[in-house]
Amino acid sequence: MPRRADFRPFAARGRRPILAILLTFALVSTVTVALSISATKRSQHRASVVEVAARQRTLAERYVKEIVLARAGARVDPRYTASVLARSADALLNGGTAPAVYGDDDETKLSPARGPAVRGQLEQERRLVVDLTATGNALLAHDPVARVPLTAHERLELKDPVLRLRVLAALTSNVSLNAARTLASSTDANINRLIVLQSVLGALGLLASLLLGWALILATRRQTAHFRSLVTSSTDLVLVLGTDGCRYVSRSVMQMVDRAEAALLGPGFEALLHPEDRTAVQSAAGHGGPPEIVFRVLNATGEWRHLEAHVTDLREERWVRGVVLNARDVTERIKLEDQLKHQAFHDSLTSLPNRALLRDRLDQALARAKRSGGLLAVLLVDLDGFKQVNDSLGHDAGDQLLRKVARRLKDVVRESDTVARFGGDEFALLLEHVTEHEVVALAERLLAGIARPVVITGREVSLGASIGIVLDSGSGHSEELVRDADVAMYAAKDAGRGRYEVFCPEMARKAGELLGVDHELRVGLQRGEFSLHYQPEIELATDRIVGAEALLRWQSPTRGSVPPARFIPIAESTGLIFALGEFVLREACLQAAEWRRAGLVPDSFVTWVNVSAKQLTGGSLETVVCAALEAVSLPPSMLGLEVTETAVVENGVAGERARAELEKLHGLGVRVAIDDFGTGFSSLGHLRNFPIDMIKVDGSFVRGTVDDPKDAAITAHLVNLAHALGLVAVAEGIESEGQLGSLRDFGCDLGQGYLFARPMAAEQINELLAAAAAGGNQELADPDAAVA
Amino acid sequence: MRRLSSWLGRLTLVVLPVLVVVGCADSDTGSRVSGSLVHVSVKDFRIVVTPDHVPGGETELVVRNQGPDTHELIIVPLRRSRLPLRLDGLTVDEEALRAIATVEGVGPKGVGRVRLHLAPGRYELFCNMAGHFMAGMHNKLVVG
Repeated sequence: MPRRADFRPFAARGRRPILAILLTFALVSTVTVALSISATKRSQHRASVVEVAARQRTLAERYVKEIVLARAGARVDPRYTASVLARSADALLNGGTAPAVYGDDDETKLSPARGPAVRGQLEQERRLVVDLTATGNALLAHDPVARVPLTAHERLELKDPVLRLRVLAALTSNVSLNAARTLASSTDANINRLIVLQSVLGALGLLASLLLGWALILATRRQTAHFRSLVTSSTDLVLVLGTDGCRYVSRSVMQMVDRAEAALLGPGFEALLHPEDRTAVQSAAGHGGPPEIVFRVLNATGEWRHLEAHVTDLREERWVRGVVLNARDVTERIKLEDQLKHQAFHDSLTSLPNRALLRDRLDQALARAKRSGGLLAVLLVDLDGFKQVNDSLGHDAGDQLLRKVARRLKDVVRESDTVARFGGDEFALLLEHVTEHEVVALAERLLAGIARPVVITGREVSLGASIGIVLDSGSGHSEELVRDADVAMYAAKDAGRGRYEVFCPEMARKAGELLGVDHELRVGLQRGEFSLHYQPEIELATDRIVGAEALLRWQSPTRGSVPPARFIPIAESTGLIFALGEFVLREACLQAAEWRRAGLVPDSFVTWVNVSAKQLTGGSLETVVCAALEAVSLPPSMLGLEVTETAVVENGVAGERARAELEKLHGLGVRVAIDDFGTGFSSLGHLRNFPIDMIKVDGSFVRGTVDDPKDAAITAHLVNLAHALGLVAVAEGIESEGQLGSLRDFGCDLGQGYLFARPMAAEQINELLAAAAAGGNQELADPDAAVA
Repeated sequence: MRRLSSWLGRLTLVVLPVLVVVGCADSDTGSRVSGSLVHVSVKDFRIVVTPDHVPGGETELVVRNQGPDTHELIIVPLRRSRLPLRLDGLTVDEEALRAIATVEGVGPKGVGRVRLHLAPGRYELFCNMAGHFMAGMHNKLVVG
């Protein structure tokens, strides 16, 4: 995998030639400078050699004079001159220091002579100096000079010693001068060669400079072309803005707005900016910031395109003198964001604002109301009967219905009002700057509008609504207002549905209590504060225990033992009844199965569980019952459900659903009993068609069987009625022997009450059942003993 | 066989130009040696003339410096027994003579040439650098 450092599009091709040219240039320059230095040093040396060589001539002539003068008795020192001559000749040949002459000049440092010709001449000079000084010494010593051996000369036939000395001096000076000339001529030749070489090197340097310039121009062109291709082919949008408008636009910008470059340069681009964004772009162009801006540009088709640009301030850059915008077209992203934002704050089914948006608008409205002192209203609308429509016609029909209701709500309110859907069949309205009178009038219009029949999937459907209204002048909080509207709405439902209620503090108090208990109930269910007690059912003819009614008990840590009459209505109103009912069914089946497994009860034994009307119409009873039975493998016939009259005789969809549920369960074998029979207003015709096994005569009649002839008559008739319908009659609340006797007289089948046994915990009834199983019929006349 | 012919071809290419160059050089040398050729050897401090007798006419003098010093060669017809000296007593008074040829400054190992038309007679050949004549650098050439 190539490393990032390998990617060098601008330098890879142009760098090598440039480097080669630079190296050549440097090499040529170095050689030229080195040669120049060398030539200068040679010239200096040559000058020294010439100077010393010229001095040799003078010294040789002076030596001759000094010899002649010395012979004449003058005080001269030819030996010193001879010494200087010899040392200088040696220095010229082998290098070293040529001595000064009587301080006339400085010592001269010389390099060894180079070249065979020069060295040959200088060696000859040295030999001549030797011959000269030897001849001079002979003259000084008045010795015959002809005997002086010569080293530089094959023969010298001059007899005159002084002439002989002068000739030798002339030869010495001449050869020295010739050596200097030879050196000079060779140096001249070197200098000529150097001039030629430097000319060549100079030409090479010039050529290298030209090549370097050419290579740099090529590299610059290549880089420029590369950058241009990058900018022009990039999908990123590049603009340069200056104080005089747009200075540069990349091809991608032209393509995006579908306009020519000329139309965009100068003031053209700014004219296409969205008026709301123009200031921001002009500010960025003028100040070089902020680092990121988002603005809109109008393209040729009239569509606003959203651009997100990174701003780079290059106003001080000599070749730019502007602010560079590297932008991306983020139109699609912003559309998606808007869509997501809409989805987050709107209901997908009706496109109405959802709870979050209503809460937000309510907060704003409260702030406005607080400032202006105006009144605002929140209306919570809950459809009555929607669930039945949804269940009977299906969810698609329900959705259609909700959409139509939403339209009707919107038709009724003002444009400035907010209609929101809270979910399910619950809507909320926010109205600002209203009076109570206007709100009430609107609520009536809403009720009328919703009540108009709607045709869904070919069927005409009529709905009602319960409306809770809360009014506020900006002092409240949004959560409180919605909660209060909810309380008012439930108050409207409790008051008979199809109406509105304006919230008042009394409602809040009631609701607060209800909510408090509801919370405790939920927590109690989780913490196991609920348990079942069982009250035996006795076959009056035999005194045998043939069944037991399971009764729910709540032992609250704060309230103590709470009777079912206190918390069951609350559980029903809050929906907790479903969880409680499931708990009761599960526990009762488990207990019955344990009795059965322990052999304490026969298969004809029935454990009765009370089922509320809400459970019957909730749609999940069958599932819950079957699950409870299957979980413990209890035969359905050992479970009985006690329902109130009102639950099964209710007209409408709810009654039909309840009856259907009971029929299914009865079909499975589950026993069904009508509880508190006689207290309602049951249609006997309905009763005949119901899947019922047993009628439980309400205790209020039983208690009067001894003292009140009317109660006795009713009880007797109810027992007869049960028998006439083929049902078992059970008397509740038997507390005395007299009542028991009357009931036996009436032919009542079963009995239940304190006379036999109070409701008791599972462990206690276990003992009772165990004793009954062991000893046959148990004497149950002492209920306290049984309870103990 | 093919390799042999290839080698012969290459040899021909190398040898043929050499022969052409050598042939040209010989013809050039031949033109120079028409007349008499006199070798004059100069060294410190002597002049040797070979041969020292040549017939009159065209004569080429080839001066070879075999000494360590630089020398010159001046050719004058010899009319007197001794050449006149300058006042320094060390060099020949050239202005008093009529030099018929001069070979200037022949450096060590150097060669100088001069072509002359020499009439029969005696000629003095000498080096007139300071002290060279007095040191013995002179000799005679007899023509005719």
